[in-house]
Amino acid sequence: MRIGVRRTGGFAGIERYAEVDTSERPDAGEWHALVEEAVAAGRGTPPVGVPDGFSYQITVDGETVYCADPRLTEAQSRLISQVLKEGA
Amino acid sequence: MVASSDSHVTQCHIAAMKATHPVFCTIVPPHVLDKLAQADDPDLAGPARRTLEADAAQRTHRRLTTVLGAPAATVPQGAAAGKPHRTVYDAQHGQRLPGVKVRGEGDEPGRDATVNRAYAGLGATFELLLKGFERDSIDGTGLPLVASVHYGENYGNAFWDGRQMVFGDGDEIFRDFTIPVDVIAHELAHGLTQYTANFTYFGQPGALNESVSDVFGSLVKQYVNDETADRADWLIGAGLLTERVTGVALRSMKAPGTAYDDDVLGKDPQPAKMEDYVRTGRDNGGVHINSGIPNHAFYLLATDLGGRAWERAGQIWYDTLTGGSLEVDASFADFARATVAAARARFGDGEELEALLKAWSLVGVPTG
Repeated sequence: MRIGVRRTGGFAGIERYAEVDTSERPDAGEWHALVEEAVAAGRGTPPVGVPDGFSYQITVDGETVYCADPRLTEAQSRLISQVLKEGA
Repeated sequence: MVASSDSHVTQCHIAAMKATHPVFCTIVPPHVLDKLAQADDPDLAGPARRTLEADAAQRTHRRLTTVLGAPAATVPQGAAAGKPHRTVYDAQHGQRLPGVKVRGEGDEPGRDATVNRAYAGLGATFELLLKGFERDSIDGTGLPLVASVHYGENYGNAFWDGRQMVFGDGDEIFRDFTIPVDVIAHELAHGLTQYTANFTYFGQPGALNESVSDVFGSLVKQYVNDETADRADWLIGAGLLTERVTGVALRSMKAPGTAYDDDVLGKDPQPAKMEDYVRTGRDNGGVHINSGIPNHAFYLLATDLGGRAWERAGQIWYDTLTGGSLEVDASFADFARATVAAARARFGDGEELEALLKAWSLVGVPTG
C-alpha cells in the first residue's frame, strides 16, 4: 500500500509531500488499520479551512481524501505525522 | 484495502456520523447530513440532526459576529473598556482546543516563556489597535483575546480558527511560532479582518486577507520597537527559521521573493508586482504568495511617507479595512480604489494620496 500525504497552506504557505510504501514494512498491519480509520473520516472534496491552517490530501493507492486543521480525527493526525516524519 | 470510491465515500461518512466526537461530524458535507437526518435508523438520524443544528448555529453565530460584533456577554463582568481581556491556554501538545488555562488577564508572568510571549503579543496588538486606531479589541467592543500555545506535536504552524489563535512549538524547519511578535499580531489581525471586511480566504480576497495580517503584524512589531518606516526590517517571521534553513524570514514586504532560498524549502515564491502574479490552486489559490503584491504597495507607501508607519499609511489601510465599502470577494483593484477613497477622506488631496497612487502604480494595480 502506498500512502501519500500532501500538506499545503499554513502560515508559511510552503507545501510538503511524503510517501510511505508499506509493502516491505514489518508493521504494515498497523499502518493499514490506521489508514482505514483516517480515510473513513476524510472528505471527498477539500474542506474550507481556517486562516493559516494546514490542509491535507491523503492518497492511498491512487485514491484521495481531504481534511484540514483544526478538525482532524486522532487517526488522521497520527497518520499525517507518521507519513511526514517517516516518509520520503 | 481501501474500497473503490463511491461505496467507500458513503461508508466513511456513516463512520464519521458514528464517531463519538461531534466535532468530526462537521467535516461531513451538508447534503449528506440532510439525507442522514431523514434516515429511519435513529443512530444515523440523531447525530446528523444534531450536527446540522450545531453547524447552523455556528454559521449564524459567525455571520452575527461579523455583522454586529461579538455579543457583549463575552466580556467578563466588571471588565473596563479599553483594557485587554487576555487568556492563554496550554494545549499540552494535543490538538484539543483551547486546552488548560495557564494565564489570565493581570496574572503575573510564569516560567513558560511561550505563554509569556503570547500574552505580551496579544497585549501589544491590543495596544496598537487602541492607541493607533481607537479600536477596543479586534471587534471594536472589547472582545476577549484567546490564544492556545504548545499545540500538537512537532507542529510548525500557527493559525486563527475563527475564535482564537493557535501556536505550535515548531519542527525541524520552524522554531516556536510565538517568537516573532509580528506572527502573533498576524494571527490576531485575521480576527480583525473577520470582524470587518471579512475577505474570503481564496484567490485575491484571500491574498488581501493575508496581506492585511502581514501589514498589521509588521506595524505591531514597529510599534513595539518604536521604529520609523526607514528603520524597520519589513520582514514577517524573522527569527522563526531554524539554523538548518537558509533564509532570514518567511516573507519580506520590502523585497517580496527574497526572504529565503533553501535546499529543502525552495525559494520564497512571492511576487512584488501584478505582472508576476502567481495563478495556482494550491494554498487556497496562492493566498500566502500573491499577498506579496499588496504587501509591497504598503511598504512603498509607508517608506515614501516616512515616520511611523502606523500613523498615516496604517491609518489608510485601517480605514479601508473597516470602512464597510468592500465586498468579501474584493479584488486587489477594488481594495486599491478603496484605499484611495480612504486616503482622500482622511487626508485630502495631499502627499498621502500622491504617495498612495504611486505605490499602487509601481506594483501594477490600477486605481482608476
